[in-house]
Amino acid sequence: MIDSQFDLVVIGGGPAGIAATSTAASFGLKVAIIDERATFGGQIFKRLGEGFAIQSPDDLGKDYARGARLIDELDQPRISKFTATTVLTIEANQIITSHPVEGVRSFNPKALVIAPGAYDRPVVFPGWTLPGVMTAGAVQTLVKTQQISPGKRIFFAGSGPLALAFSAQLIKYGAPVFKVIESAPFPSPAKLLGLLSSVNGNWDLAGDALRYRSTLLSKRVPFHYGRIIIKAEGSGRVEEVTHARVDRDWNPIPGTEVVESADTLCLGYGFFPSHELFRLLDCNFDYDETRGGFTVAKDHWGLTESSSPIPIYAVGDGTGVTGSYSAEAQGRLAGLHIANHLGSLSTTERDTQSKGFLKELNQRNKFQRAINKMFEVKQGIYQLADANTVICRCESVKAKEIDPVIDSTCDLSVVKSYSRAGMGLCQARNCQRQIAAMIAKRHDRSISEINFQTPRMPVKPVEIGKIADPSIREEKYFIQ
Amino acid sequence: MSERAPFLVGYLDNETNQSDLPPSSDVVIIGGGLLGTSLAYYLSKSGVETVLIERDDINREASGTNAGSFHFQIALHQLTPNMSESEKRRLADEVRLQVDAASLWDEIEQELDADLGVHFDGGIMVAESDDEMRVLKEKDVIEKEAGLESHILTGDEMRAFAPYLAPDLAGISFCPREGHANSLLVGPTYAYRAWQNGALFRTGCDVTRIERVSGGGDLKGKRFRVITSRGVIECNRVVNATGAWAAELSAQLGLHIPLGLSGLHVNVTEPREYFLKSMIQHIGRRLTLKQTHNNTFIIGGGWPSREEKFPKRYSNTWSSTTGNLAVALRVLPMLADVKLLRTWSGVWAYTKDFKPILGESEKVPGYHIAMVPTGFTLGPMVAQMLSQYMTAAPGKGKLPTEFNIDREVA
Ligand SMILES: Cc1cc2nc3c(=O)[nH]c(=O)nc-3n(C[C@H](O)[C@H](O)[C@H](O)COP(=O)(O)OP(=O)(O)OC[C@H]3O[C@@H](n4cnc5c(N)ncnc54)[C@H](O)[C@@H]3O)c2cc1C
Ligand SMILES: Cc1cc2nc3c(=O)[nH]c(=O)nc-3n(C[C@H](O)[C@H](O)[C@H](O)COP(=O)(O)OP(=O)(O)OC[C@H]3O[C@@H](n4cnc5c(N)ncnc54)[C@H](O)[C@@H]3O)c2cc1C
Repeated sequence: MIDSQFDLVVIGGGPAGIAATSTAASFGLKVAIIDERATFGGQIFKRLGEGFAIQSPDDLGKDYARGARLIDELDQPRISKFTATTVLTIEANQIITSHPVEGVRSFNPKALVIAPGAYDRPVVFPGWTLPGVMTAGAVQTLVKTQQISPGKRIFFAGSGPLALAFSAQLIKYGAPVFKVIESAPFPSPAKLLGLLSSVNGNWDLAGDALRYRSTLLSKRVPFHYGRIIIKAEGSGRVEEVTHARVDRDWNPIPGTEVVESADTLCLGYGFFPSHELFRLLDCNFDYDETRGGFTVAKDHWGLTESSSPIPIYAVGDGTGVTGSYSAEAQGRLAGLHIANHLGSLSTTERDTQSKGFLKELNQRNKFQRAINKMFEVKQGIYQLADANTVICRCESVKAKEIDPVIDSTCDLSVVKSYSRAGMGLCQARNCQRQIAAMIAKRHDRSISEINFQTPRMPVKPVEIGKIADPSIREEKYFIQ
Repeated sequence: MSERAPFLVGYLDNETNQSDLPPSSDVVIIGGGLLGTSLAYYLSKSGVETVLIERDDINREASGTNAGSFHFQIALHQLTPNMSESEKRRLADEVRLQVDAASLWDEIEQELDADLGVHFDGGIMVAESDDEMRVLKEKDVIEKEAGLESHILTGDEMRAFAPYLAPDLAGISFCPREGHANSLLVGPTYAYRAWQNGALFRTGCDVTRIERVSGGGDLKGKRFRVITSRGVIECNRVVNATGAWAAELSAQLGLHIPLGLSGLHVNVTEPREYFLKSMIQHIGRRLTLKQTHNNTFIIGGGWPSREEKFPKRYSNTWSSTTGNLAVALRVLPMLADVKLLRTWSGVWAYTKDFKPILGESEKVPGYHIAMVPTGFTLGPMVAQMLSQYMTAAPGKGKLPTEFNIDREVA
């Protein structure tokens, strides 16, 4: 069934998608917002598990309050909400989705916003697939929504502002984090000055960071700069973790290893944008390791070039990771531009209304850039595996099985077809960059030159029975 | 099986592959699909000096995107609406060729000393309606005459034989000889063994022109100049094995190759416990379905994909996906909760009369074409035939006249 009633479809119900939806709807557009999760709010505003009573909203922090406010913005008559609805593919102007009960539904709006968010950056090192090694996002979900701690002795390894935020949050919720390591060096005075000069308009974020730091201090959790995780060991589960000092490129320095006992290793090395849909639409990309590798090329309204006949707006962390405030501002700007484009808002009015958001976006981005300078992700993060490390966990392919293939090709698709790395359930979301880095190193190229494997639909796995359509008949064959 | 396939892929070490084109060679093969790589293998095995030139990487087009089915039974795409006596003779000829190919596949893993995922666990062709059942019976007669074993089963017999099939199908034919192999590995393994035999490979090398050297005809002097993105190479004999692109280069020499092109759609699912030994096809609808030795299901059968401008790959359509899956589900209902992981597509080249184009041009001596529509099944065999032709004493080589590359096809 094709739903033709909408002016705008928004994919992704995080801060970026919600902001775009409510802004566009406030000018009279009919908007459908789609998210594969059961509730809106995206990554940041995870709701409590069912039957869970909130003791005090403060416990959940201001993220929760902000999330609740945003989600409330969706209660407008012109907005139709589709949860548990997964976008499988986009064909020209048609957005094709599937719902576990209601089945397939297609939309053909006049404009499309894509705000699919980001996921935890996988870091590959010996032992990364052991039970007890978890991403910060997964630990956060457990702790925040179910108040379950994954272990009794949690070692936190990561980098970037979220490493600090995550670990502090976990500690606040009572999770037993006993040590935190950060790969970036202790910030130099110059970098701190750079950060300071960008604080204006970002006092809230700067304040957050200070609070996080003081949480760690008050709980006496040691925080070490310039170290990276290099190994996790244990029989059947993490028992020991090894970390080491790093050089400028984040390569571990031999002789600086420290072994600690831990039953859980929590990894927070930042995020990768979910760019499958952008790739299907032939959008252009830039490369910025610290923002998650490939980032979508777009203008400040979020408008991006694509093979679709309708305007495509790319907003939020799925286009390059810049955080939830920037995501929200990007969403608002896209909403305004679409309202103008579809004739519901004059250009003057659009430009007036966008001033504030543009200013906010610029301020947020300035702060983010200063932060990113402090926590620049270096290529050493891709050099932690040894020959026996599993690189593709879906298909259990080890580094030593991939190396001989890489010897003769720079093409990720070729590596995949010979080694099976990247063929499994996650469709290379987790191993693609790692393999690209291996290729880059072998052939003395930059990782940004190693292209994606060919994008194909569906962007998420789906049961055959949910989409098979007996009404479609093929042409009869041929020799006449 | 001594070496595990992934270790075969050091088939072209980067250094050799990246070095300059040699100035000349006896044979230059253009195209590194299954036809090109297997021909390089058979020629180099006979000691012929061979250079294979591929514009991309080995096995990236039809030969690495196909569904890996051995088509030995007469399949839907070979049928015409009404089978006349001459049609039946054509089909019987095709079956004979297919039976010959089966013997090559029997031995290929031994010949190349590698695990290529070759399965000979039989093929099932299903019929849904009485009409389709009639076709199934007709084709069964032709197959038997041509020497291919097959059995027709209906009702309880069918249900007992293949309990996983939808119980209300009209009937099936079962061909014990049929099977499938891993198309991702066959071409590269041929390339690897050819390279060990001394054949040279250059990938990332696009042939833009083929020129005849004037005063040619002298077997010692080179007759062709092949101009590529990585330089020029002269040679005595050229083999065009560029599949879907074979017509373009041939046209430069004034030869018209009557090719049809069509983008084909393939689906792959998540793995499930292994149970489906036989490949499944449909006599009236577009379907091939098999469980691989990685336990995933590959579902194809000729649904179209959308044409895109080269070098973008043909894209998959929603209607082919859901239509193809519906046919699969009709035949094998238990697939309903298996997850579709990915789709892909490849460009398939066919001749209008469905016969191979194989051999040397009489109009342009020294210029060869190697192309065949069901090229996964028949590719290695026709490459072997061409190699035998090319290594025979001058004037002694023979190939079936109906494969003649100068023939006119309407
Ligand atoms: C695990 C994790 C934890 C985080 N925790 C914090 C935190 O505590 N504090 C903080 O400040 N920042 C946090 N961040 C960062 C913050 O969440 C992001 O900056 C912000 O959420 C970005 O907003 P967004 O709208 O771009 O994406 P998201 O909030 O990620 O929203 C994207 C939405 O799109 C949906 N989606 C994606 N693909 C499809 C599809 N094909 N079909 C249907 N729906 C789809 C997803 O389900 C998701 O709900 C976290 C990020 C992650 C990944
Ligand atoms: C989706 C699909 C499913 C199929 N399923 C089956 C099946 O189940 N069973 C079966 O028997 N057959 C099947 N086929 C058909 C079979 O795959 C082909 O017939 C066979 O692979 C053709 O091999 P080839 O070497 O001639 O062509 P290709 O594999 O296409 O190789 C041609 C090569 O030439 C290269 N090339 C082209 N132009 C140039 C140039 N100018 N310079 C240098 N290099 C060049 C290309 O890059 C390419 O690598 C299928 C085909 C498709 C597309």
